Amino acid sequence: MFEKILIANRGEIALRIHRACREMGIRTVAVHSVADADAMHVRLADESVCIGPAPSRESYLNMPAIISAATITGADAIHPGIGFLSENARFAAMVEEHGFTFIGPAPDHLSLMGDKVQAKDAAVRFGIPVVPGSDGEVKDEADAKRWGKKIGYPVLIKAAAGGGGKGMRIANDESELSQAWSMARSEAMKSFGNDTVYMEKYLSHPRHIEIQILADNHGNVVHLGERDCSLQRRHQKLVEEAPSPALNGKQRAEIGEVATGAMRKMGYRSVGTIEFLFQDGEFYFIEMNTRLQVEHPVTEMITGIDLVREQIRVASGAPLGMTQADITFNGHAIECRINAEDPETFAPSPGRVTEYHAPGGLGVRVDSALYGGYRVPSHYDSLVAKLIVHGRSRNECMMRLRRALEEMVINGIHTSIPVHRRIMGAADFLNGSYDIRWLEKFVAEQQG
Amino acid sequence: MSKFDIDEALIRKLAKLLKETGLTEIEFETDDARIRVNAGATGPMVAAAPALAAPAAAAAVAPAADAPAAGSVSSPMVGTAYLSPEPNAAAFVKVGDRVAKGQTILIIEAMKVMNPIPAPHAGTVTQILVQDGQPVEFGEPLMVIA
Repeated sequence: MFEKILIANRGEIALRIHRACREMGIRTVAVHSVADADAMHVRLADESVCIGPAPSRESYLNMPAIISAATITGADAIHPGIGFLSENARFAAMVEEHGFTFIGPAPDHLSLMGDKVQAKDAAVRFGIPVVPGSDGEVKDEADAKRWGKKIGYPVLIKAAAGGGGKGMRIANDESELSQAWSMARSEAMKSFGNDTVYMEKYLSHPRHIEIQILADNHGNVVHLGERDCSLQRRHQKLVEEAPSPALNGKQRAEIGEVATGAMRKMGYRSVGTIEFLFQDGEFYFIEMNTRLQVEHPVTEMITGIDLVREQIRVASGAPLGMTQADITFNGHAIECRINAEDPETFAPSPGRVTEYHAPGGLGVRVDSALYGGYRVPSHYDSLVAKLIVHGRSRNECMMRLRRALEEMVINGIHTSIPVHRRIMGAADFLNGSYDIRWLEKFVAEQQG
Repeated sequence: MSKFDIDEALIRKLAKLLKETGLTEIEFETDDARIRVNAGATGPMVAAAPALAAPAAAAAVAPAADAPAAGSVSSPMVGTAYLSPEPNAAAFVKVGDRVAKGQTILIIEAMKVMNPIPAPHAGTVTQILVQDGQPVEFGEPLMVIA
């Protein structure tokens, strides 16, 4: 096992990793920018090294500085955390070249899943279901009709060179196809100078459901069930829960088997998450995250497994301490991401936290690096706390979460706590009937 | 914790030591007491326990706190400082030397690369704050060239 781990991250996740290390008897090195000299992860770590000025590019993304910090402190492994360099294959390779262990997957797997096109090809190869599509250019109307029939309506016609919603048209049935096809083409020509279009199935009301994977170096792979992360605003997740209110035990076991089978074929190691869109009982691959995820605590709460601890164990070469049969799901967990932002406009709100009070009680967990007097820097992302609540049933969990949100105090800055209080009172959320478009509609209605 | 008597003599002693050595801070701890004497630009800071509120106030003036003495040269990177070009060779500079702007004053090794650190301004080396082979952080004071 490692003796000293350098944590190449900041904020609550650096603290989260520090906690796992301490419980394993591993010493920690915090690295930080000038702006984070007073951060909680720096205060609690056994050692700390200032690696650069405030901008991430010169500190948390500064690979030579992080490697040097590991060298001068004598660390034997580097945990990249979430974001920053966690999915950077070049960094992972550099870490290993310098004789340290990268606590994460092999560099090849980072680059494979980091490339959208390659990742989708790999998913197909490994037996993961993807959104059905034309697999290339739709050349003319007859071609479009053929594909429409094969894929099933509604379909989405997309510019091959596209992005940002331009050159995209939906056809709900064959009668709309001709017009959608020509409009997508002319829009694509105008926006990208290229009128090549392709077609894929249009999902009008999908949920975002992801499967947590854990794999060791010896070919053992388990899944830890799903998380429902459909509550998103501008592709940013705000609330996550496990299990998903939309999935039954049979569906869970099936998709879990697909995911573990794929990881076995790939030879993947470490923690990872396969993200899917889920609609009408079918799963469609979005992408794979080759790292720990922000919302990992909801899985920990219902499985009782410390994912960071397991991630460190498998990185050291130890075999998984469990088989699929050992993993049971107990109760329900919901996580609220609390961001330093205005609850109405969602504008960032950095500044000094004048008062901080974390809620407590049975089944309540707060992962946060905040403290009274702390100044939230303006250089980094706005996530300042995660409130994770567990209950024996979804209903108990929701009642407890409402109670915890009432108790929680963060003064001096704006936070998204009021948004969470409103969501937890919404009938749709109570009933579990929401999809990935629900939150944006809800927010718009509240503002209107 | 036993009663904490203010030991004026000890504080005077530490303050004198601070002045003599040119250090910015001394922390002295026994089983039941801890005294910190700080000559930083932010004024005296006395803390009995890990202070929760104080650092945030300090953060606001962090740049000032990071630049203690005039003429101080701080490290541009994380690494290991070397005062001479190779083991057993003469040091690049010693206290009392006059240096020209741009002249190499030490080396910082980062990722097995030796990075010569030039003097940011001309002057006389009044203090060398690091030892040969010492690990240094970004922003750590290396020397004072007055």
